[in-house]
Order: sequence, then C-alpha cells, then structure tokens
Amino acid sequence: MPSFTVQLPNLLNSGPLVTVQVAVGSTAEAAMQAAGVPTPSPLPATAMIDTGASASVIRQGVAAQLGLYPIGVSYITTPSSTNVPCNEYLMRFVFPNQVVYEGTAIETPLQGQNIDCLIGRDILAHAVLVYIGYGNQFTLSF
Amino acid sequence: MPTMLATELKTYEQHRNALLGTAEGKFVLIHGTEVAGVYDTKMDAIAEGYRRFGNVPFLVKQVIKVEVPLQFVSNHLGV
Repeated sequence: MPSFTVQLPNLLNSGPLVTVQVAVGSTAEAAMQAAGVPTPSPLPATAMIDTGASASVIRQGVAAQLGLYPIGVSYITTPSSTNVPCNEYLMRFVFPNQVVYEGTAIETPLQGQNIDCLIGRDILAHAVLVYIGYGNQFTLSF
Repeated sequence: MPTMLATELKTYEQHRNALLGTAEGKFVLIHGTEVAGVYDTKMDAIAEGYRRFGNVPFLVKQVIKVEVPLQFVSNHLGV
C-alpha cells in the first residue's frame, strides 16, 4: 500500500501539514499535448490534511498558474457563508514517496499565510490516516 | 464568486427536468449550450470533456434533485 509519513516539530500547533506537488490531471495534460501546449511544471504546495473539509481545495490562483480551466462548479458552506459557488478543477496531487492521487479540487481563497491546499475527505475516502499526536507524526496510506 | 461556467450552468438548468427523468444520479457533460453526453462516473465525463473539447471550460455535473453544498467546518476558507 503506497504511503508516506510526516514528522513535524509540533503537530498540535501546525496541524497535519505536508509538502506536495500540484499538477494538471492526466487527461488535461493529454489535451494540452494534443494542442501543442507545453505542460506546466508541477507547483510545490503546502497542504493540510483536513477531516473537516468534505472536498479538497486549492488556493485561488493555483489553477491559472497551471493553465487550467474549470470543469465544474460546487457549492460550499463554511462557518461564515452558505451556498457559495466555487470552480472545480481536475488536479493531480503528488505526495511524498511519489504517492499520486488524481481527482477534482475546488478553488477558493485560503486564509492563513502558509496553506496552499486542503486535503479533504474526498481524498481521505481512499486512504488510511494514522495520526500519532504524542509522536508529532502522521501517516497517510492509499 | 464569479464562474466561467455561467452559460453551462444556465444550460443545465434548462435541461434539468429532462435529465432528472432519464439520467438521475449520472454525470452530465455540458459545453456552452450543448449537452454533450451523460456518463456513469464523474471521471469518465471529465475525460470525455477534455477529449472532445480540449483544455477549455466545460461543466461536469451530477444530475440530482437537491443540490447539497460541500461542508467545511474549519475557518481556512476565505469565503
């Protein structure tokens, strides 16, 4: 089972953060190649594993940097807003150890200085998350 | 929040009742004013969208009676 483990200095304070690469999805990449458009390089991103998010999220602007256009619209509800429409994109998340997940992510502004994406329950639905709080580490297996 | 898919969303609304009668639970692919097809899975519809239309905006939407918003309980999202 492909997996990776992250050891952090203070998991309690930072939350489960992991550096990932975000890239265009494979079928989008094929469409770009068919059109003679160079595939944009994957972008490094700081992701938070967020069991409180029912879907995965990328920071506003990431999709444009990757040359992607929306392929769907999802409506979201947060503690401060209801039924906000957000664009949805086909993305590829490359985790440590070359663990790859491909699926859709919605794009919203993200608060906080250092989070570029949220790994939500749509991805966790395919995974096992082991959170070892006293050891300041977590493992995600697919 | 603005979306590039306003035309496609309007097209979906225009065809929603008919789609509910024939394809409830499936995923419809819409480009502009064209309903391009209905697929069993979201990823199939997305793949067909890229194959037919290329890297351009298109809409893949599940055909459902009641739209349930995605829930976010933390305050990370700036909306």
